[in-house]
Amino acid sequence: MELGLAVLDQQVVDRHDRMMGKVDGLVLETRPGEPARVTHIVVGGTTLLWRIHRGLARWVERRRGTDGRPDLIPWSRVLRVGVDVKVDVDSSRSPALHWERWVRDHVIGRIPGA
Amino acid sequence: MSKLLEIALGIVTGIGGFLEAGSLATAAQAGATFGFQLAWAIGLGIICIAFLIEMAGRFAAVSRHTLPDAMRERFGIRFFLVPLVAVGLVSFLVLASEIGGVCLALQFASGIGFQWWALPVAALVWLFLWKGTFGMVEKGASLLGLVTLAFVVGAFRLDPPVGQVAARLLPSLPQQDSAKYWFMAVSIIGASVSPYLFYFYSAGAVEDGWDVSYLGINRLVAGLGMTFGGVVAIAVLVCAAMVLHPLGIQVSRYEQIPLILVTPLGRTGFVLFIASLAIACFGAALEIALQLSYLAAQGFGWRWGENLRPREAARFTLVYTVCLPLAGLVIVTGIDPLKLTVFSMALTALSLPVTVVPLLVLMNDPTYLGERTNGWLSNAAVLAVGFVACVVALVAIPLQLMGS
Repeated sequence: MELGLAVLDQQVVDRHDRMMGKVDGLVLETRPGEPARVTHIVVGGTTLLWRIHRGLARWVERRRGTDGRPDLIPWSRVLRVGVDVKVDVDSSRSPALHWERWVRDHVIGRIPGA
Repeated sequence: MSKLLEIALGIVTGIGGFLEAGSLATAAQAGATFGFQLAWAIGLGIICIAFLIEMAGRFAAVSRHTLPDAMRERFGIRFFLVPLVAVGLVSFLVLASEIGGVCLALQFASGIGFQWWALPVAALVWLFLWKGTFGMVEKGASLLGLVTLAFVVGAFRLDPPVGQVAARLLPSLPQQDSAKYWFMAVSIIGASVSPYLFYFYSAGAVEDGWDVSYLGINRLVAGLGMTFGGVVAIAVLVCAAMVLHPLGIQVSRYEQIPLILVTPLGRTGFVLFIASLAIACFGAALEIALQLSYLAAQGFGWRWGENLRPREAARFTLVYTVCLPLAGLVIVTGIDPLKLTVFSMALTALSLPVTVVPLLVLMNDPTYLGERTNGWLSNAAVLAVGFVACVVALVAIPLQLMGS
């Protein structure tokens, strides 16, 4: 539990050490009579925006449809917590990198020499 | 690479990279208006930036974190937004100033108005970042920046009273025009302590993979590089004080600034002035545009690195691709680049507590630095300069705006 909360806002890297975002949020499980437990770390989507401004986050969620959902990574997939949080995930398929791929395919990738 | 060579290269980088639009404009203006009297402000700025650069390098080498990364982790997203927005805004204004500086150099050289050069210059900066690697941006720009040593040669040619200049390294109160005096003093400090400098340095140290074995190099490079770099800024002040001050020319119009090298060095001086201004500002523009990308990418966890291909770090690339034309557009409006520069420097001084205090909190946190946290001296020096500069800026900026 202690460790789980401490990773909030830390850098997340995938199993190939490629950066895939920050720990933007956490999913907690509460059980009666026991301390809460971190079940997932949440990367990307509007998760971060919810912590900055709720109204703005709600507005963005209404507009964006199903694009750019957050990636919920189960705590069991966390390989190591050090300078970064390393997770057993292939980031090239993670929804957390939706906007990275969108910018690559629609903007940067279209400029010659990219 | 041998350590000795790295130290030498680091110091050369400090010297060649020190001068940019801000330090040049503020030192020239201060020398023209107040003679040698404001030399102390440059000295104070150098002490402060040397401490900050050393801290940024030590933090990167020991913790392996970049500054934005650690700030977000340590303070959480809501508090991190404050330095993020402050550093981002100030850096953007300074970027526009540097583009303006290159454009002015091109105007001096060609006679074509500076506004016309803004977008081509922004495009050229972008092309260098798009094609270049980190080493090229950092080392290349500062090696070429050694041309700014022309100001040191010029200053010696003018045979200044060295004793008087040295005496002015101690602060003194103005005899007249105190609002302008204090405004100039904080602009000079703001120019030396631009946050892009230590954020960029920290990103570079992580990009180059520094570890604790670099701590000695880091201390030498920060101390000597900044001191020698500061000598170039003082040389600009001396040139302006010797050439423009006796004539009663106040550098309110930029056309007069080349005189400070033309008088001691003649026609060559004119060419050297244009080359210094263009190269120093172009190099700074490269670093600042890159630093804006680093700031966003490291704060939000995007893939980053100037050595990656653009498509491998798309959002990182997008930041400078958007910021450069926007900064160019600021100059296209025809805003006076000199006024914009000096104003941006004063604003930098004003924002110092917000940009520097989070760094100091990190530097005193043993979870990141173990036993290598700050000593009392570096804490006290940076805090004192930061807060005094902020308070003086708070008073001087409104007075200056009302006056002009």
